[in-house]
Amino acid sequence: MSELVLLSNGINPVLLIVVPLGLAFALPFLGFLSDRVGKYVPAVAMLFNLVVSVLLIPTALKNPVVVSIGGFPPPLCINLVAGPLGVGLAALIALVGLVVSIYAFDYIKEGARTKYHILYLLLLTGATGTVLTGDIFNLFVFYEILCISSYALVAYLGNRSGIEAAVKYLIQGSVGSGLILIGIAILYGLFGTLNMAQIAQNIDSVSSLSVFIPLVFLITGFGVEAAVFPLNAWLPDAHSSAPSSISAILSGIAIKVGIYAVARVMFTIFGASSMFQFLVLLGLLTLLVGEMSAFKQNNIKRMLAYSSIGQVGLIVFALGMATSDGIAGGLFQIVSHALAKSVLFLAVGYMVYRAGSMEISAMEGIGKKMPVISLAFVIAAFSLVGLPPFAGFSSKFLIVRAALATEETLFVVLIGLALVGTVIEGAYFFRVVQVIFFKGVQEHKNTSAQVKREEAPLTALIPIFVLVILIVVLGIHPDFLMPLLNSAASELLDKVGYIKEVLG
Amino acid sequence: MNLLFNNTYYLACIGLIAIGLYVMLVKKNLIKVIIGLSLFETGINLLFIVIGYIRHGTAPIFSRPGLTAENMVDPTPQALVLTAIVIGVAVLALALSLAVRLNEHYGTLNLRKIRDLKW
Repeated sequence: MSELVLLSNGINPVLLIVVPLGLAFALPFLGFLSDRVGKYVPAVAMLFNLVVSVLLIPTALKNPVVVSIGGFPPPLCINLVAGPLGVGLAALIALVGLVVSIYAFDYIKEGARTKYHILYLLLLTGATGTVLTGDIFNLFVFYEILCISSYALVAYLGNRSGIEAAVKYLIQGSVGSGLILIGIAILYGLFGTLNMAQIAQNIDSVSSLSVFIPLVFLITGFGVEAAVFPLNAWLPDAHSSAPSSISAILSGIAIKVGIYAVARVMFTIFGASSMFQFLVLLGLLTLLVGEMSAFKQNNIKRMLAYSSIGQVGLIVFALGMATSDGIAGGLFQIVSHALAKSVLFLAVGYMVYRAGSMEISAMEGIGKKMPVISLAFVIAAFSLVGLPPFAGFSSKFLIVRAALATEETLFVVLIGLALVGTVIEGAYFFRVVQVIFFKGVQEHKNTSAQVKREEAPLTALIPIFVLVILIVVLGIHPDFLMPLLNSAASELLDKVGYIKEVLG
Repeated sequence: MNLLFNNTYYLACIGLIAIGLYVMLVKKNLIKVIIGLSLFETGINLLFIVIGYIRHGTAPIFSRPGLTAENMVDPTPQALVLTAIVIGVAVLALALSLAVRLNEHYGTLNLRKIRDLKW
């Protein structure tokens, strides 16, 4: 362990942003040399990011790494704060980014492939930058890099629904970004600084009303990307019309970055404890609306998209409880949802490809044709519903336990309602599992004894296999992740500590 | 009246933002919605400039003797606006190119008629 710390002392977190960004812009030139190199570049960049961020974790657990860019001391420069929360999320982004880029080797066959890989790298750069930065305008810039590349990637297939979904996403997303910018302008006018730690330090020096206005702008703006209830009209269309690899990234990573931004603004900058109960209610509403909408979908990708809204609701609910157990549970849920939903979208990508339709009824007998991918789908679905021994069980268990531990009637009643949402979730996932495995088997038995196996290519199976292994490992042995989650939770709750780390 | 006079710039920015939002909500034509988006972003950019502005201020450069830091306009919001304008241009270009493709698919830019997905 000590060797690891020694090794990671010399690593600069800036590399996590610089390397993918640089490679993204080098990609067109590499494309001149060879046509086939392009698709390997995102995988290389994300492998690098994964190694660097995992190496940074031991250091970040002891002390957040604060990097000043340009050589000025923190309030004057743009700084990066690589605390346990930021590094943990960066590792998650790199992991999901890596497996999805391996998946894309064979999945992305048509269209402007080089541009796909450039945009994909930019999306992940934006996500990584957002979770690492300590400057609120810099946060906005990285967030915009993430948003603009995801607008373009949703439209990548260029079909009717893709373009329409992208237009919707773009219009709503840009209004959200505009609101964030207004919030930042007001904050700058009030405090004359953009450094998040310095704003947090001075937040009590002005009247609570004038702080409330920028808070509302920022939360509404980031809420669009985080898909919190009244702001999520774009999500089902965008997630269901994008190529499946992009759906996996949008559901697994992009939403989580929005949630991270909301949490950072609420907890670290504003410390708005009076708003937390509102967050809990909003989370519950999002959860119930998402799960109930998912229940009545016939299109499998739309169903998964609505299920993402439901899961976001649960995460926001857990973060809103503002106890260290609750936040740790919410962060665990971020990890388990990112893994499970990526598997689901990646598996569905090839299931839709073989079935030729996104309707759930068209999936009959897929379980016989593609047993491995179907099994992965089932494991991920069970994890999402929260069945033991999968990761989803541990995270939901933590959230429920934290809600009961608060011993407030409100939270106990609300977590009961949240569990009703989970029951609905179970109902629609089991329906799909039933269609995949048990419908259409009878006819096959009568007509042909041997159903033709049409498994997905190896480049799809390996990423799915890696994620499924992680889901099972985290489900059986959640303690493995707990130190990181607990210290990430205390980073969010301990505002004074954050200010001290940055400003010294 | 004095209050109004002192806050003219702020009122103009908020007015532009409001007009932009109104256009985006009411208009059916996608191009007009994009124009509304552009107005909205321009209003926000102006808001940034106004926050750093000082009446009869000078540029933040010590170009000739007698200039003091107190009379200089804050340069940070102007740097921020430069970034925001670049981002706005990227979004606008993407929106317009998507509008072209949407027109190819549907033969119309009327958002009320483009309803394959639920709006």
